[in-house]
Amino acid sequence: MEAFVQSVVNGLGQGSIYALLALGYVMIYKATHVISFAQPALMIAGGLYAYHFTKVFELPFWVGMVLAVLAGALTGMIVERLALRPMIGKPVFTLAIITIGIDIVLRIFANRYIGVQSKIVTYPNGTKRYELFGITISQQRLGLIAVTIVTVVALALFFRYTRAGLAMRATALDQETAMAQGIRVGVIFALAWAIAGGLAAIAGTFVAAGTAGIDQATWIIALKALPAIIIGGLDSVPGAVVGGLAVGVIEALTASYQPDVAPWLGNNFSLVAPYALMFLVLLIRPYGLFGTKEVERV
Amino acid sequence: MTKRTLLRVAACAVTASLVLTACRGNDSGSGGEAGSGITDEACPNAVNADNGCIYLGAISDLTKGPFAPLAVPITDAQKAFWEKVNEDGGVGGYDISLEENIADAEYNPEIHNRKYQEMRDDILALAQTLGSSQTLAILEDMKSDDVIGVPASWNSAWEFEDQILESGANYCFEAMNGVDWAVENRGATNKVVAVGYPGDYGGDAAAGVEVAAKANEMEFVKVETPNGADNQTGAIQQILGEQADLVFVSTGPAEMATIVGGLAQNGFKGTVVGSSPTWNPALLGSAAAPALQALYFQAGPWGPFGTDTPGHQAMRDALGPDVKPNDGYTSGWAWSYPLLAALEAAAEMDGGISRENLVKAAGELEEVDYEGMLPNEAGASNGEPNEVAFRESVISRVDPSAPSGVSIEQDFTAGPTASDYDFSEPCFSLQ
Repeated sequence: MEAFVQSVVNGLGQGSIYALLALGYVMIYKATHVISFAQPALMIAGGLYAYHFTKVFELPFWVGMVLAVLAGALTGMIVERLALRPMIGKPVFTLAIITIGIDIVLRIFANRYIGVQSKIVTYPNGTKRYELFGITISQQRLGLIAVTIVTVVALALFFRYTRAGLAMRATALDQETAMAQGIRVGVIFALAWAIAGGLAAIAGTFVAAGTAGIDQATWIIALKALPAIIIGGLDSVPGAVVGGLAVGVIEALTASYQPDVAPWLGNNFSLVAPYALMFLVLLIRPYGLFGTKEVERV
Repeated sequence: MTKRTLLRVAACAVTASLVLTACRGNDSGSGGEAGSGITDEACPNAVNADNGCIYLGAISDLTKGPFAPLAVPITDAQKAFWEKVNEDGGVGGYDISLEENIADAEYNPEIHNRKYQEMRDDILALAQTLGSSQTLAILEDMKSDDVIGVPASWNSAWEFEDQILESGANYCFEAMNGVDWAVENRGATNKVVAVGYPGDYGGDAAAGVEVAAKANEMEFVKVETPNGADNQTGAIQQILGEQADLVFVSTGPAEMATIVGGLAQNGFKGTVVGSSPTWNPALLGSAAAPALQALYFQAGPWGPFGTDTPGHQAMRDALGPDVKPNDGYTSGWAWSYPLLAALEAAAEMDGGISRENLVKAAGELEEVDYEGMLPNEAGASNGEPNEVAFRESVISRVDPSAPSGVSIEQDFTAGPTASDYDFSEPCFSLQ
């Protein structure tokens, strides 16, 4: 039982990163109905901002992270203004393809900064471990989970109680009606990208603070948030969080138990497990666990 | 003819001339009068203007592959090595040029092969071919071209290939020595897990671990793990589940650090020994640093960057004071000695330096002067692998005060397993 709970705790830690990334995907999808494939590059950019602020400018970790979030948000807004705003009205598929291009371009710049040595951010006392009933967790993982909780609560409050949040919800519901009500939809798009960039920067900072830091192949981590948003539902904020955590937990549990329970599935099945779960959810609930069911008149 | 038609004709003519120029290829390349990869003309930017030029090639992992943090200093050290050879007068009336033929294969066998095809007519030999399966992807072409190569890998199969000029104990012996050392010095007695990449590198080391586990009456478990630091959850959980007291890792540095960090987070108290390529001093800045200091040891083919030998000193002098110490430099430098010895031997043969004579010389080396980085007999290639293969490794511990982050725990030693091993075939077949 102890081992099971330990696996779940480990999975929640990794799942927090997926949840933050998944929230970024959902923000953009809700506002624009586009799945942004630029999230991996935004995550890397955020991690590199944090590296630069903490290692080059030698600022404390938390200050560096806040500045990285602001820089990530600014990057998201610039990307939206330069590459996507001019394409408003074009088919969603075209916009999605453009985000792939944005991802490639941003990663080319990022790779030049990274070079061959991975960029590692130091988390203060990151290896200090806490133990409760035989379950251990590092201070860094605890920090990550705490930051994720704070971020999710802040987002929920933003949507519930602010005018901008209300405007975003209205735009997500119906863009034309929102415009008729005086909402500047372009500003809402920019805000969605800014939030996505900021969320990706938080995830990137914690990835950079991991054991291996950020190298030229680290962007692949962000792709694991894709099954998370399919599982949770493309347009659901709670779905993104649940989906992200589910992917992390299923990955950890499969890694722990599959070699003994189902060795015939081969080595490293844990890497495939999130996609298997996604497939299962799609069969039962095609719009995800919390996604809005689309009603079409035929 | 109208102005527009004229413009079209002119554009077609310019395009055609550009295409024809491109098709003609580079006839000012390095395949000169003296043979493939060797010319009587001086090298570009020659140190000795009266010398001819020998062109060497390097196919490495210089940007995005898992060994790029090591491969860049390996390549830089090799450039510095041959520059020093030139400053000392060259070899047999020739300067050596490596700069002209350096390629990045991204640790991809297909790209590796393509890069070799691009340079195969221009080089005398390969001063570096990084990766085992990558080298295997060009080995048949190297044989048909009479090109010898210095591998930037330590696969046991290289001892059985005439045209591969390896140095130091291979992954297999290194793993045997690592296990024997941990049994004797760290109290490992119960179970050993060999965790590594699938295929040649991880496979060769795992084969050595298995032999040593049997010799030490330990249980043996093999865990294959993919490339990518974020893909190590499965390996960590499997190791923890096995409750081993010794783990031997054969991955890249990022994966090793993730595994060791993950094990430590879950309360692992045993010992981790890594193959030589698992260490990168940049890991001392990672969250895994305390875990690495507590648990990790490196089994390596020679002493690290700061070791006190004439060879290490020559390397440090050649690189200058501004480089950030990294054992990629140490390996790149040490690997170059046998090729220099083979070139010097070929220069003494009838016909002087040529591809054919170089192949012959490389197979007849009785010893190589490594300037103390390795014993001279480690360079012997004139016998059966079971007789001449070098079996001694160096065990290092993490030491933040050492130049490259590791310092010697146990100097050159062949453990009982490696000493007694019948090396009549490669530990892990590459075919």
